[in-house]
Amino acid sequence: MKNNKRKSDFRWRKEITLLPSYIIGIIWAFFTIFMIGWIIAASLSSTKEVFTGNVLSTGLHFENYTKAFFRNKALMNLLNSVIYTVPSCILTIIVSAPAAYCLTRFKFKFNGLIKKSIITALGIPGIMIVMPLFSIVSTLKLSGTHLTLIFIYTATSVPYTTFFLMAFFQGISDVYEEAAAIDGCGPIQCFWRIMFPLAQPAIMTVTIFNFISRWNEYFMALIFANKSELRPVGVGLYQTVQSMMQSGDWAGMFASVVIVFMPTVIIYLFLSDKIVAGVTSGGVKG
Amino acid sequence: MKQTKRSIITFMLPAVVLMVVIFLYPTLRTIAMSLFKVKSVTTPLMDWKFVGFGNFFKLFKTPLFVRSMVNILKIWIYNGIATMVLSMLFALAFTKDIRFKKFFRTIVYLPNVIAAIAVGYMWLLYVYNSRFGLFTTMFAKLGLKYLADYQWLNSDHMFFSMCIANVFGNVGYFMMMFIAGIEKIPQDYFEAASLEGITGFQRFRHIIFPLTKGVLRTAIVLWTTRTMGFFALSQVFSGVNTYTPMLFTYQTLFGTEVASESVNAGMAAAAAVLMTVIVVIVSMILNHAIKDDNYEI
Repeated sequence: MKNNKRKSDFRWRKEITLLPSYIIGIIWAFFTIFMIGWIIAASLSSTKEVFTGNVLSTGLHFENYTKAFFRNKALMNLLNSVIYTVPSCILTIIVSAPAAYCLTRFKFKFNGLIKKSIITALGIPGIMIVMPLFSIVSTLKLSGTHLTLIFIYTATSVPYTTFFLMAFFQGISDVYEEAAAIDGCGPIQCFWRIMFPLAQPAIMTVTIFNFISRWNEYFMALIFANKSELRPVGVGLYQTVQSMMQSGDWAGMFASVVIVFMPTVIIYLFLSDKIVAGVTSGGVKG
Repeated sequence: MKQTKRSIITFMLPAVVLMVVIFLYPTLRTIAMSLFKVKSVTTPLMDWKFVGFGNFFKLFKTPLFVRSMVNILKIWIYNGIATMVLSMLFALAFTKDIRFKKFFRTIVYLPNVIAAIAVGYMWLLYVYNSRFGLFTTMFAKLGLKYLADYQWLNSDHMFFSMCIANVFGNVGYFMMMFIAGIEKIPQDYFEAASLEGITGFQRFRHIIFPLTKGVLRTAIVLWTTRTMGFFALSQVFSGVNTYTPMLFTYQTLFGTEVASESVNAGMAAAAAVLMTVIVVIVSMILNHAIKDDNYEI
């Protein structure tokens, strides 16, 4: 009994020393949630309600969304974003996974050099590479197609993805390959049949990161996909807000902002365990 | 043996080819271009005119570029300090034995999964709005008249407002890095220290800080790279006060919406090279200045 009392006493003291931590956490979390919540509410209100501060007082105005989707082409922008991100996420894995496996498992002449190049490539800013790429694209007359950005997103994701997967393959014991080799399985077959499926968890994690960062990419998209039928969501949002500013359609602007952040936020909320674990395990994107 | 060689080529070739096409060749060509007088990115090679470091000298004589460099330096220092301090505070708070730890981490990291352009508009259109904005209504409720009447989007205050939005967007990312660093510290250190009756601050000063120095160095290097690439927010919060080198380079490359005669690809390349060189130098200095304290378990 006595012991029990002391224990609960102790817990109280502990909670009090933790109070500052709770306070900063709660303030920041409240601010973030309120901000996002209000913007979602405003996107479903009329512009008049937004200005008078009574959001959602006359029911849900879905017409903000229909206007954004169709008149301001948000639907097409969403589709474009999917066209850019999904194929490039898949292609990145098809290129990077074998390379990562090969670099961790085989000894060959340029192994060290390639590893060093990957680390260097991680640090090269986008601005250093856009100009020559732009001239290649215009010489090849690829500027009116989706292919340009799919290619750029795939290629620029290769160093990070390879780097991330190398750490994973290093941690897998080579008994699987030895067994496969005894069964007469060649290295390539062995990789796709045995190692690739084994790497699924790491591939999933890195693909989530790639997807989110490609979805949110802005600079390359502005340069290589700034035509109305090619724009992804980010670039489309900039154009939409510029034109809605003029017409004063505030509810429409908030709806357009929500359309841009909703997909990644939903993915994040569902997969936050995986994402947070991925970030804290040291796989922070450079 | 032959088969292994062939499979190594099959494994590596696509990745190597892509890296040469997207990194090696463009980087070398941008460096070359910075030494030539080139009107537009699509100007063919034979029309390039060698000018040595002429483009670089011209950059330093361009007031708008100098202004953008000063702005980015301010962002690097002030936002850097604010971001690092806040991230470290959050990391310390959320590695303690508190409830809802996972929820707090998830929420603070959240802005990092939202496109920078959308984060920018959330602040510009809502938080800073002078009529219905979050800050105005919140400060009015709290009775802070000065803050409630503060014009966040006035061109004098725009830079400061943009900085707050920038810090807000970055804190979660660096918090995660610091959390990873703190959680790697062997638990024995803390147990031994708590037997000695160590205080919270001493715990930070003598255990956490020395053992996460390596993480801090990486964080500052990443911060430098990210800051140099600062673009979307400066386009959202547009104005001379929020002008950054990326925006300058972009406009020198493609012209602005109002004027296209300012296009000068050679100068844009020089700006890109200069930005990259600065990042490289800062990283090298940091690598020498902050050494890891090795600890054996």
